[in-house]
Amino acid sequence: MKTKKFIFNKLIEITILFFIILTILFFLFRAAPGDPITRMVDPNLTPEDIQHLIAQMGLDQPAWKQYIIYIKNFFTGNLGHSFHYGAPVSSIILNRMPCTILLFTTSTLLAAFVGVFLGKIAAWKKGSRLDNFLSIGALLCHTLFIPWFALLVLWILAYKVGWFPLGGIISPELWIWDTSIFIKVLDVLHHMFLPLLTLFIIHLGSYLLLMRSSMLGVIKEEYIITARAKGLSDKVIRDKHAARNAALPVITSVGLSLAFSINGGALTEQIFTWPGIGRELIFAVSNNDYPLAQACFLLITAVVLIANLIVDLLYAYMDPRIKY
Amino acid sequence: MKNTKNRPENKNHYVERFTKGWAIYIKNPMGKAGLIILLIFMLMAIASFFVPLLGPVYDPMTGADPNITYSTGPSFQHWLGTDFIGRDLFVQLLEGAKVAFIVGLSCAFISVVLGTAIGMISGYAGGIIDTLLMRVADIFMVLPSLVILLILASLWELSIWVIIFIIAIMRWPSVSRIIRSQTLSLKSRPFIEASRVAGASNFRIIFKHIMPNVLPLAFLYMTFRVTSAILVEAALSFLGFGDPGQVSWGMMLQWVWSSGHMFQAPYWLLPPGICISLLTLSFYMLGRAMDEVLDPRLRKEGEGE
Repeated sequence: MKTKKFIFNKLIEITILFFIILTILFFLFRAAPGDPITRMVDPNLTPEDIQHLIAQMGLDQPAWKQYIIYIKNFFTGNLGHSFHYGAPVSSIILNRMPCTILLFTTSTLLAAFVGVFLGKIAAWKKGSRLDNFLSIGALLCHTLFIPWFALLVLWILAYKVGWFPLGGIISPELWIWDTSIFIKVLDVLHHMFLPLLTLFIIHLGSYLLLMRSSMLGVIKEEYIITARAKGLSDKVIRDKHAARNAALPVITSVGLSLAFSINGGALTEQIFTWPGIGRELIFAVSNNDYPLAQACFLLITAVVLIANLIVDLLYAYMDPRIKY
Repeated sequence: MKNTKNRPENKNHYVERFTKGWAIYIKNPMGKAGLIILLIFMLMAIASFFVPLLGPVYDPMTGADPNITYSTGPSFQHWLGTDFIGRDLFVQLLEGAKVAFIVGLSCAFISVVLGTAIGMISGYAGGIIDTLLMRVADIFMVLPSLVILLILASLWELSIWVIIFIIAIMRWPSVSRIIRSQTLSLKSRPFIEASRVAGASNFRIIFKHIMPNVLPLAFLYMTFRVTSAILVEAALSFLGFGDPGQVSWGMMLQWVWSSGHMFQAPYWLLPPGICISLLTLSFYMLGRAMDEVLDPRLRKEGEGE
């Protein structure tokens, strides 16, 4: 029962937060120099189309009415018309979304699992050569400058060695013909490998360091001594008693580092020309495609907020001591 | 009266605390390595002030070598080579060190001052002020700073100082959370109670009694803020939305990438990235070593090895 109330409260909190962000964005777009009409409506359209779009977004109305229409349009999924693509922004975004989710979740989950596993081993053999190697490596990964590392990966593995494609998500020539689904999946995986590797390495460092320090704290707890006194094997104590408790702070950090991950994700997408939301945002911003930029921004914020909620719930589920 | 008597002793106490802390710090190999790397970069930043005196060719932004019209590799005249219009890459690298320090330190300073002030007020005041301030902190905490900066860059042309200020605004919440919890625990200590009974104002209690006790922690967080500020600014410049009138490491990478030299000119691609990564690493190591000085629990763990 309490969990339900907690979810409900969190949902209300997130809704309010999102409204605040929506409102700030509305004012930002009107506070910037220049005319909002030229900003939100593609000047290359025919006069009739322009009039239609102006009416649709209420740009000829007073500011408070514009705001109401803006909110209403947002909830009916009408986010404006992209200048560059000449298509509704919502359809473009829905198109890009799966690519981002695919890359982002795979890299985060992989990095979290491997990071927790290696962090556990490093902490258990604290001070050993393996621990030193893993800690220093993780530290280097953690402070790498993401775009530079991505360029380096691209230069070596795609350009010099030529094992992987330089960018994109599919090889079009494969998709024209009726190739089997298996080959198509392999093709996507082949394209995904380099961006995935970049994000994986960058996230791995922080998960490993976090798990290691969390594990070092847990090892000193009395229940670990008890477990030893009971004569349990080393492996059982490490995996069943220590690691399970030590992994909890790592989960919260997934939520807290989400903002960082999204920055990294956008940079990685941009360099590997991965057709996701982050790259679309950068594209929109550099081409002054304001409706598209605004929509990408709102989508990213929504994803961040929802992901934070999921992390909170996951944490409550994993740690039965936490009662909301 | 009590205060005037205590003052000189207090000063000695701080000096003693500092020398003790320094002794622990310098024993830490991580702290030592971080400090050495940092000193090298500081020398680079200082050198950047003197290099343009060598002649107009060595100006990082406008100093194109008239004899060179394309990107060349390292030579005696240009130690790291030149970019596509003949500007010296080593000079740009030095200039980048200066910019990185300016961005990192001023961002960290602003965000830590802001975070400390808000954290102390929030923790000391409690109640509705506390709730409100921490909700605002939550908003800033979840938002990805680079994405915010991108949206702002689409609307306005951002100068380097505006970028610094925006990054600082995005980074105070985590500082204020730590300072707040520290303030909460300080608030219930007897010496705060005593000064309140003695008639000290809230303002005086916060600045005279709470602030000296949270400052070391704030200083520690400053080193971590430096790291993230440098990385965000470099990323923004790399994407082409940095201050167009300012050479920086991010900008150098943007040039090598957008001019299509990244597969041909490793002498251009490698140095800026190595510098950014090393500088952030050194600040990170500095912070970790300072963490050990401030947190005795960690220190014991280190000695147990």
